[in-house]
Amino acid sequence: MDSIPSSGGASQYLVNLPSRGTFTSPSISCNSNGMRVYVCDHETTPPEGQHIKTNTQNILIRALKLKNVSDNSKKRTAEKVLGGSAKKPNNQTNSQQDGSNGQTSNKNFQSLTVERLRALLRAKGLPTKGKKASSLNIHSYISCIETAYG
Amino acid sequence: MSTWNYVVTAHKPTNVTHSCVGNFTSPQDLNLIIAKCTRIEIHLLTPQGLQSILDVPLYGRIATLELFRPHGETQDFLFIATERYKFCVLQWDTEKSELFTRSMGDVSDRIGRPTDNGQIGIIDPDCRLIGLHLYDGLFKVIPFDNKGQLKEAFNIRLEELQVLDIKFLYGCPKPTIVVLYQDNKDARHVKTYEVALKEKDFVEGPWSQNSLDNGADLLIPVPPPLCGVLIIGEETIVYCSANGFKAIPIRPSITKAYGRVDPDGSRYLLGDHTGLLSLLVITHEKEKVTGLKLEPLGETSIASTISYLDNAFVYIGSSYGDSQLIKLNLQPDAKGSYVEVLERYVNLGPIVDFCVVDLERQGQGQVVTCSGAYKDGSLRVVRNGIGINEQASVELQGIKGMWSLRSSTDDPFDTFLVVTSNSVRLVSSTTRELLNEWNAPSDYSVNVATANATQVLLATGGGHLVYLEIGDGILQEVKHAQLEYEISCLDINPIGENPNQSHLAAVGMWTDISVRLFSLPDLNLITKEHLGGEIIPRSVLLCAFEGMSYLLCALGDGHLLNFMLNTSTGELTDRKKVSLGTQPITLRTFSSKNTTHVFAASDRPTVIYSSNKKLLYSNVNLKEVSHMCPFNSAAFPDSLAIAKEGELTIGTIDDIQKLHIRTIPLGEHARRICHQEQTRTFAICSLKYNSASAEESENHFVRLLDDQTFDFISVYPLDTYEYGCFIISCSFSDDNNVYYCVGTAYVLPEENEPTKGRILVFSVEEGKLQLIAEKETKGAVYCLNAFNGKLLAAINQKIQLYKWVLREDGTRELQSECGHHGHILALYVQTRGDFIVVGDLMKSISLLIYKHEEGAIEERARDYNANWMSAVEILDDDIYLGAENSFNLFTVRKNSEGATDEERGRLEVAGEYHLGEFINRFRHGSLVMRLPDSDVGQIPTVIFGTINGVIGVIASLPHEQYVFLEKLQSSLRKVIKGVGGLSHEQWRSFNNEKKTVEARNFLDGDLIESFLDLNRNKMDEVSQAMDVSVEELAKRVEELTRLH
Repeated sequence: MDSIPSSGGASQYLVNLPSRGTFTSPSISCNSNGMRVYVCDHETTPPEGQHIKTNTQNILIRALKLKNVSDNSKKRTAEKVLGGSAKKPNNQTNSQQDGSNGQTSNKNFQSLTVERLRALLRAKGLPTKGKKASSLNIHSYISCIETAYG
Repeated sequence: MSTWNYVVTAHKPTNVTHSCVGNFTSPQDLNLIIAKCTRIEIHLLTPQGLQSILDVPLYGRIATLELFRPHGETQDFLFIATERYKFCVLQWDTEKSELFTRSMGDVSDRIGRPTDNGQIGIIDPDCRLIGLHLYDGLFKVIPFDNKGQLKEAFNIRLEELQVLDIKFLYGCPKPTIVVLYQDNKDARHVKTYEVALKEKDFVEGPWSQNSLDNGADLLIPVPPPLCGVLIIGEETIVYCSANGFKAIPIRPSITKAYGRVDPDGSRYLLGDHTGLLSLLVITHEKEKVTGLKLEPLGETSIASTISYLDNAFVYIGSSYGDSQLIKLNLQPDAKGSYVEVLERYVNLGPIVDFCVVDLERQGQGQVVTCSGAYKDGSLRVVRNGIGINEQASVELQGIKGMWSLRSSTDDPFDTFLVVTSNSVRLVSSTTRELLNEWNAPSDYSVNVATANATQVLLATGGGHLVYLEIGDGILQEVKHAQLEYEISCLDINPIGENPNQSHLAAVGMWTDISVRLFSLPDLNLITKEHLGGEIIPRSVLLCAFEGMSYLLCALGDGHLLNFMLNTSTGELTDRKKVSLGTQPITLRTFSSKNTTHVFAASDRPTVIYSSNKKLLYSNVNLKEVSHMCPFNSAAFPDSLAIAKEGELTIGTIDDIQKLHIRTIPLGEHARRICHQEQTRTFAICSLKYNSASAEESENHFVRLLDDQTFDFISVYPLDTYEYGCFIISCSFSDDNNVYYCVGTAYVLPEENEPTKGRILVFSVEEGKLQLIAEKETKGAVYCLNAFNGKLLAAINQKIQLYKWVLREDGTRELQSECGHHGHILALYVQTRGDFIVVGDLMKSISLLIYKHEEGAIEERARDYNANWMSAVEILDDDIYLGAENSFNLFTVRKNSEGATDEERGRLEVAGEYHLGEFINRFRHGSLVMRLPDSDVGQIPTVIFGTINGVIGVIASLPHEQYVFLEKLQSSLRKVIKGVGGLSHEQWRSFNNEKKTVEARNFLDGDLIESFLDLNRNKMDEVSQAMDVSVEELAKRVEELTRLH
């Protein structure tokens, strides 16, 4: 294992950067303010058959059907699938209950909010754990959220 | 009533979220495509550098953006997925220069918990399928058929619930994904799955790797011949594949973005959270990876996206600072950096706070924003209009006119003209000798005259029009015409092919108030246009912008008429009238950066320019200007000479654009700003991150800045763990002084919520912050307002009122008077009279009232929706505006006339709208000069600032205008389609976790104003649908554009 940074400097690694014939004589001036704004005054519906929808068949039923078609020997697999997907709705109801609790009782608010904040922070791609964010609190939510949404 | 609102963008988003490089606009073109949240920009890579092609607005917030190329295609397609679960595949139609929608669809599922770590959209390198991870535990597959068309999508159950990243692996016989995830013990692992398209399920993949770096957050798939994946952690980088494993330790850092350099994936650029750019090198022998190396290269803005362009040039897209074009140099500079920043692209985001001030005291607002974050924090002064930067100035009385003279070069005749009251003299500019003279008839004097390089046109009393030509040292009268009235102004500015000669002359007339076009040299009348009214034309000008010819005609009362001019027939069309000022206007052309513009000198000097073939008018930051002429000299290159009352100024002009932005880099993150008129200072709350030492720490400050120079003039460091939360300038009853009040919070690592804070009261004495009083609070002071000569604070769950009390020893202190409980967190507070409007963390808006007699604050009404607020503002007595964290805007109405207490206690939702932007702040004010005589001058406006760097305007319209524009908006929806087939109606519908409802009582100004960008046929279509003439529509929409 090499330890970084090495003493040699980056020069040796910057040779032969790929070139495809552009930026050969750059005179830098790119004024994006003068950029033409696209006004889309033509039809934009996709061609026939390219309006994509999701197959609505339940994953479990689909899996069972496919299994039936292919062979009928392994019951176990089906059970496994069943067990797994039965778990998930549970999780969901739990989290939904959490949400409704928050509005009714302010007592639980503290812990609940922190959980929700943590989720929100995650959604913003912010660290919710680790050195810097080990102390997650409401205030850091507010200061993070105003800058880091995006 | 402010129920009917018009929302329009004054400054577009500048936060760069994604970028990619590929052959999009043609098989030969190499394009850089940049996503700025709700817009994409298409650029072309040329030998000279980046050339902008197109700015495309999108009806959605872009979640993922990828270029890909199905088998057999010669150019790339663009895949875009939006945060509201729509996707589209766009193809550039080279013939029509249009974006063609190849396919689109809705990828939402009715059940499913949206992922915490953002949406993932990836495309198999062999183009067999598109993979989407949008909900926990589900992986959505959109398969391609063998012709590159998409087929019906399906979901696969994904066991890993806490997914951090998913990528497709290269070089696999079956499409294979690699998943980086966290288990319920918070350990991180990677796992691979093959996608079995026929079975619509996953099959265990070729390898997996357990127990990675705790900070592992990013996967980089490596293309053939090496294949495999790089796992970027905070302390290690790991290369992993079916037949190899390599790991190296790195200096602790959080990698935010990467860009591949070589097509074979042997070098990558990594950008970390401090803005350090590094090169990651995979050393290998044939197809076997032998080692990894990470070499720091230098500092850039904190990158959100990195695209290697070509020939050592790299685009760095940033969310926290300006995006950059950089070059990687082979040799380091004096500071050891291999990075050379060649260009910066302004980014205002995230706008955390801003204030509206009139620094130049000209009646025009400027916005000063707290922009950027971390080391890239800055203040930005955003001004509508164009600045003249004074270079030199001299006192000079009684300037009547100005011309710049050139001794030779361009002017082949080495001459200049002197027009006196009765003669025209041709004088050599080198020898100063009189070469020739033309004398006016003895009983008439020359009233007005104009000339270009080879021609002279003048008018004498009695309506005589005389045309002279300049030969080599001679003046020759070519034609004379007698008009029926006196002539008020003339122009022969060449706009045809010959830059030295014009074949048209524009003439403004007294008496019949007309403007006429004559042909040259024969002085035949071609066109006569009556101007109407009683104000005579004072200046006419022929000019050409973007290949279109115009006739501009300025009147004595500050109005300007413009016409489209057909140069061959002399026909004048598309008459438009705007008000620029109140005094006579003098028009003059000048050029800046090789483009011609017009300077209109008057009491409100204006630059007229053209963009997208529309004439635009920008104020200039000067008071009355009587004359202007271009002036280019060795000492003052590309300057303008400007005559004001008793003064001649030479200055350079800003770039010609609508908004002008001045950047004041801070090197730290400003979070709150406030201006104090009396002391001419700004105060900010800011924080500085110290990442140099091993322990990362933050220091918080209150800083005082001069409002002209923006220099730091004083600083007050806050305590350890103390955050500056809010700052206002205010004064109190029975005290003539003005103060800065700062609200703070002690954010202790072990506390979930701050339990202590302070209110600090400062005065500015001799440019220094003096702490006058401080008051400890039982929580974070999120907001402060001056309120009835007292101070109203929002502290955690409570609203608290403090009075300013004089103690016996003559000092003053804040004393608690009364308060109001009952909020989750009172984050945003606005007041009006005795009313207090509170924006709560999660309980929307409530209305409180302060009762003087009882000395109490009581709740009056509230909105019972569960909106998580991000900003509130009071539009008028009854209507309050709110922004919430799912990017929506809404208004609520006080219901004072309700029959029951229950009804009166409810704030009724009046308007709802999806803005698609996260608003951090509203402020009353305007970016433009409000001329009292214009219609738009009466429309109240609120400005907002967002995380993406958008500055927008919300204008409360009269009902009649709203109804008209609503009709126009629905007509425009039929003509202007959403790119990629996305629907405008759906995009603007109010949408959060709880509900989705159609937008109401808000109009999309961006859509409405794009009417002006339509071609004539489409305008006609809209006009017919509306049953209103195109001219009338254009006039009404143009008026609106002057709101921002």
